[in-house]
Amino acid sequence: MLVIRRHPGQAIQIGEDVEVLVIDCGSGRVKLGIRAPKQVHVMRSEVRHTREENLVAARAFATAGCESPPETSAVVPLLLAVVP
Amino acid sequence: MIFVSAHFGPIDVNESSTIEFPEGLPGFEERRRFLPLQHAQPDGLIFLQSLEAADLCFLALPVRSLRPEYEIALMPEDRETLGLPQEGPVGIGREVVALAILSLVEGQPPTANLRSPVVIHMKSRIAVQAIRPDDRYQCREALVLEVEAVCS
Repeated sequence: MLVIRRHPGQAIQIGEDVEVLVIDCGSGRVKLGIRAPKQVHVMRSEVRHTREENLVAARAFATAGCESPPETSAVVPLLLAVVP
Repeated sequence: MIFVSAHFGPIDVNESSTIEFPEGLPGFEERRRFLPLQHAQPDGLIFLQSLEAADLCFLALPVRSLRPEYEIALMPEDRETLGLPQEGPVGIGREVVALAILSLVEGQPPTANLRSPVVIHMKSRIAVQAIRPDDRYQCREALVLEVEAVCS
């Protein structure tokens, strides 16, 4: 992994189109500004992991589901079950 | 309203038991309305059935049935979406329901996403998939359960 030290106000350039600016830095957090073309998806890494996990979970259920799906009568709405 | 689910067939949906994700879920940003259904057994499986896509359904379990000590940690924007105060603890089971989406992929050990629980405000029925600001839990936490027993 490439490691670069930067001060607030300084930036790094990734390829031709992506610029990452260090806006602020303090108490264990860094504030970054990212300039990138529209087609480059910028998201927090954990959002990406969650997205991938959701896609896997939905696909697994849609293709396999359960061996014997429960009857509609075997399930009750959750919210009515917990809110009297 | 009758909704025909790919998994359950026709379901009579009562508006007051539906939930809305104002921002969808990561990967399913356009899917806003869901019906959470619970297996009629204590701490049973929960099915998050989309009311916009008949074949979209997530399996989930309450976070505390997986980790009894689980406490919610919310980002400020998720508190705002849920209409919760910016400070203070969030009561699982009192104000909100917190569910971990399960990944049951054939040939792989089952996992639960405890990093990004689905948090439902019980009164307003607004929901978010709230990614924790810390990394105390992961997206793929090992799940110790008998898949066959759960599905029967």
